[in-house]
Amino acid sequence: MERLHFSRRQLCIPYGLFLALFVVIPMLLILFYAFTEEADGVLTFTFANFLHFFTSKAKLSTLLMSFTVAIISTAICLAIAYPVAYILARSGLRRRNVLLMLFILPMWINFVLRITALRELLDLIGLLGTQNYLNTIIGMVYDFLPFMILPLYTTLEKLDNSYLEAAADLGGNKFTVFTKVTLPLSMPGVISGITMVFMPSMTNYVVSDTLSNFNITILGKLIDQYFTTYDNWHMGSMISIILLVIIFVTMLATGGFKDDGREARGANLW
Amino acid sequence: MKRRLLTAALACAMLLPSVLPLAGCAAEDVEVLRVYNWEDYISAPSEGEDDSVDLLAEFEKDYEARTGRPIRVEYSTFGTNENMYNELKINPGAYDLVCPSDYMIMKMIDEGMAEPFSEAFLSESNYAKYGSPYIRDLFEANGWAQYAVPYMWGTMGFVYNPELSETIEQDLSGWAGLWEERYASAATIKDSVRDSYFLGVAYVYRDELMRLQEEYDAADMTPDDEDYAAYNAKVTEIMNRTDEATIEKTKDALLALKEHLYGFEVDSGKQDMVVGRISINFAWSGDAVYTMDDAEPYTDENGVRHDGIYLNYIVPRECTNLWFDGWVIPKGAQNKTAAEAFVDFLSRPENAVANMNYIGYTSSIAGDAVFDEMTDWYAEGEAGDTDENGDPLVPYDLNYFFNGTSDGAHADGDFVIYVSAESAKRQISAQYPTEQVIARSAIMQHFDDETNAAVNEMWEEVKGLPIPAWAYIAIAAIAAAGLAIGFSYLYKGKRAEHKPKKGYRRVS
Repeated sequence: MERLHFSRRQLCIPYGLFLALFVVIPMLLILFYAFTEEADGVLTFTFANFLHFFTSKAKLSTLLMSFTVAIISTAICLAIAYPVAYILARSGLRRRNVLLMLFILPMWINFVLRITALRELLDLIGLLGTQNYLNTIIGMVYDFLPFMILPLYTTLEKLDNSYLEAAADLGGNKFTVFTKVTLPLSMPGVISGITMVFMPSMTNYVVSDTLSNFNITILGKLIDQYFTTYDNWHMGSMISIILLVIIFVTMLATGGFKDDGREARGANLW
Repeated sequence: MKRRLLTAALACAMLLPSVLPLAGCAAEDVEVLRVYNWEDYISAPSEGEDDSVDLLAEFEKDYEARTGRPIRVEYSTFGTNENMYNELKINPGAYDLVCPSDYMIMKMIDEGMAEPFSEAFLSESNYAKYGSPYIRDLFEANGWAQYAVPYMWGTMGFVYNPELSETIEQDLSGWAGLWEERYASAATIKDSVRDSYFLGVAYVYRDELMRLQEEYDAADMTPDDEDYAAYNAKVTEIMNRTDEATIEKTKDALLALKEHLYGFEVDSGKQDMVVGRISINFAWSGDAVYTMDDAEPYTDENGVRHDGIYLNYIVPRECTNLWFDGWVIPKGAQNKTAAEAFVDFLSRPENAVANMNYIGYTSSIAGDAVFDEMTDWYAEGEAGDTDENGDPLVPYDLNYFFNGTSDGAHADGDFVIYVSAESAKRQISAQYPTEQVIARSAIMQHFDDETNAAVNEMWEEVKGLPIPAWAYIAIAAIAAAGLAIGFSYLYKGKRAEHKPKKGYRRVS
């Protein structure tokens, strides 16, 4: 009797199916919706949605708002996370795993619950209802900080000490060692962290809605509106596509797709 | 080849379990009724509350008892009218009964998506018998009676904390009260384009609405008045204006309002009122009842007194939005008989009471059971009694709603509840608007696609603007920094390539 034997290619079939069903086909559907419009039940190809996005004051200002929120949140996350990750990874603290876990722990608690709790807290301090922009950024930073810390920590932790020793031996002071060796070698972590934080903060409208009392609209919210209340899937899909392109370009710009072996260090955890 | 087939079959088998249960359903020999309703919009058993009736289970029992055929209700819920509409468009015939709001009912009727109710239902059902004459006339007059059976209804107004200012009641008796500087950061409105548009239009045309009221001497008009139809038609016309100028003015009004609102809300307004975070909430009457109930001081079963606040509800004098949700049988429904039986079942007064108890909104069903329940909830005595301050109770007249629906326990003209003057401003005024409020209430029509797009665009601008100056500065600074870094890299890269540093030799 013939033994049941799967070739590697055959084993791929379920995954291929999965990818086709849940990635490729949905993406094609979004593309299809984005470039069509419906009149009297007839679908026609059109660029109207695309043109409308870039001629609409409301949409452009929403795009600008999302950008601002995302960039500021990412910058603050980086500013907070780098020292934290550096200290945790390099300073030989005792129980640093426990400390790291404390930073990561909030990720394990339901996100909506955290944001609701944060809303109460901001109300207690007196920021809720008055500082809408600040609140949104606080919320984004609070929510996405772990995503910045983790990749940074992993890169910094795996940094080979001999590089630093060599740099010091060659006469570099601590500052030079940091700027010439540590920082460049940790760039994969920085980039990985930025992608992890920047993308979701452009779309995570639960944070902006809850903490700004719906005063700040970001792109994710707009997409949601087009699908659920405006009943216009075409425009909603177009905004999704535009967002996708923006993120793609950002990734290219930050070199997230560079496959030059840096990933081997475990920086691109995600 | 054989092997390859086997692998393909295996791959398919992995997907099969998700398909199997669906196939299993079809074979079952039980009648099915597929109902598509709003979330939390029917009495259902809930933890900790023993008195809430499981209406779906009750219906299944009742249907089998009356027809001898077992039935299973497949009940699913939606979050917005548009979601429901889309679902019906994609999958016509997927549901036997849906519960859209006013404007969506109109849209469905216009587009021929609604199946008319049978003659027998319209003349003999519990709805024909117990449906409030006021609501039934309204549906008749608008031509919806054949296609939709009203379920819940109400008005829109302000829930407010009377202790916020001395003049708050006076201020909020006009829509413009919300725009007053003294209520900065004290109020929320709905994060919903249609509700906010209505609010904005009411503000923009407040003077015209008041002139109209004077012209018709309509301050205390009731639907019995001979001028009612003419007056109400004009109010409705104003409140449904969607010309460019109106949209522009409404946008400016809402942008100005946004500047000093506490914020917008979807569902948090109730809780924010109760804890005192805000003092004014633009609300649906059903939510208003819930909020007032929740905020009130009360004594629990152990006799412990809990603090609270008494909140009021007010409908501004210019106009209000009369809204309702109703049952519609969509075209392509596969079990119209059961759908009608279900609506008939829900239209029994005792089931309407169960729903009102559970949901807190006002049912369109009248009848003795409902009136007795309302008397139980709100009456503070009989005619001639006094309240705790010694002031006589005031009559709250509900005859317009209940007349003609009694089985004999009440006579027409008897449907009056006596409450204190203070209470007349609270829950009962939200539960059942007075006839004066009814006279000035407008139903919002459904907009055509073009108008919808314009109004939505207006709303997006209200929500998206203004962008603060610092955001532009931040963006400019970041862009400049990005460019600077980019150029410096480019420059450096070139220099390093072409001019090796002194003392180094290029290795070839």
